[in-house]
Amino acid sequence: MNMKWNFVASFIFLLLILALPMKTYAHGARIEYTVDVTIEIVAMYDNGEPMAGAQVVVYAPDDPSTPWLTGVCDDDGCFTFTPDISKPGIWDVQVRQAGHGDMVHIPVGEDTATTAAPGGYTVFQIILMSACVIWGFAGTTLYFLRRRA
Amino acid sequence: MHIPDGFLPATVCAAGYVAAVPVTWYSLRKINQRQNPREDIPKASVLTAAFFVVSWIHIPVPPASVHLVLNGLLGAVLGYFAFPAILIGLFFQAVMFQHGGLTTLGVNALLMGLPAFLSYYIFRIRNVLRKDSKVMTGIFGFLAGFVGLGVSVALFVVILLNFIPADFDIATERTAIYTLALAHLPLMVIEGVFTALVTVFLQRVRPKLLDSV
Repeated sequence: MNMKWNFVASFIFLLLILALPMKTYAHGARIEYTVDVTIEIVAMYDNGEPMAGAQVVVYAPDDPSTPWLTGVCDDDGCFTFTPDISKPGIWDVQVRQAGHGDMVHIPVGEDTATTAAPGGYTVFQIILMSACVIWGFAGTTLYFLRRRA
Repeated sequence: MHIPDGFLPATVCAAGYVAAVPVTWYSLRKINQRQNPREDIPKASVLTAAFFVVSWIHIPVPPASVHLVLNGLLGAVLGYFAFPAILIGLFFQAVMFQHGGLTTLGVNALLMGLPAFLSYYIFRIRNVLRKDSKVMTGIFGFLAGFVGLGVSVALFVVILLNFIPADFDIATERTAIYTLALAHLPLMVIEGVFTALVTVFLQRVRPKLLDSV
């Protein structure tokens, strides 16, 4: 009988000790991490002016016909969004304002590109390309003037 | 003013090409009926180069920014050469700078080329009145430049309003289109004045260049 009561008393004592609020140290460790791929686009007209207030539509790779996200560019033409990294592939982002705009295709996943500026030309390139075309027109002009003479 | 690739349904782009073909054919036929069809090619070539380049000249009209078009000037000075000139200029703009687009080339050519015909007919009214008068040349030059761009903007607005994709907020896009159209009003005046200055200048120094129109 005594042994039984001793056992019950020991058990209760043990529970009380375990229930006492005290600082304990665990020996295991666990680190959790989350990767957020944030994409920032900057939309501007070809004269360098930002497309402030332009509408943005983002299409996910698994459904390129249904908008995954819609939004508006800020005053600097910037728009930031975090794609769902469980959907790797090409994310399409279309920007539009008054019939002007463009669509950019952003790879998300293993081939994620950090920066890209598709279709951009430097001022020198623009001048050179314009000069080439103008040279062609000037040549046409001179050719037909010569024939006429 | 240039509608880029991907902003119009494929059927509209195709319809633009289909409609641009007979207009181009009509222009070339009219040119071919002239006594010397080659006579105005140098003039057309120079103005095509001007048309190609001026789209880079932007004029800030807050909150938008617009660029010169000069389709009214081409219509007034080139007559039936204007449409092929605009078509070629737009082609180079699309290929070199992605200004506009190849799929929308037909639509853009109609947007800017058809009003050029109108400008041509407006400018020809001076022939009925007093052809040698610089005042008349200036007045109808202004009207040609002003109306040419104005009708282009009107066509631009009508096409865009009718083909706003459902994925975008239609009210916001509509407001943006109207804002851009209003921003072209000062440009219409500028192009009118510029066309008047050029036509009066040509009449003074080389009146023969205006004889064909």
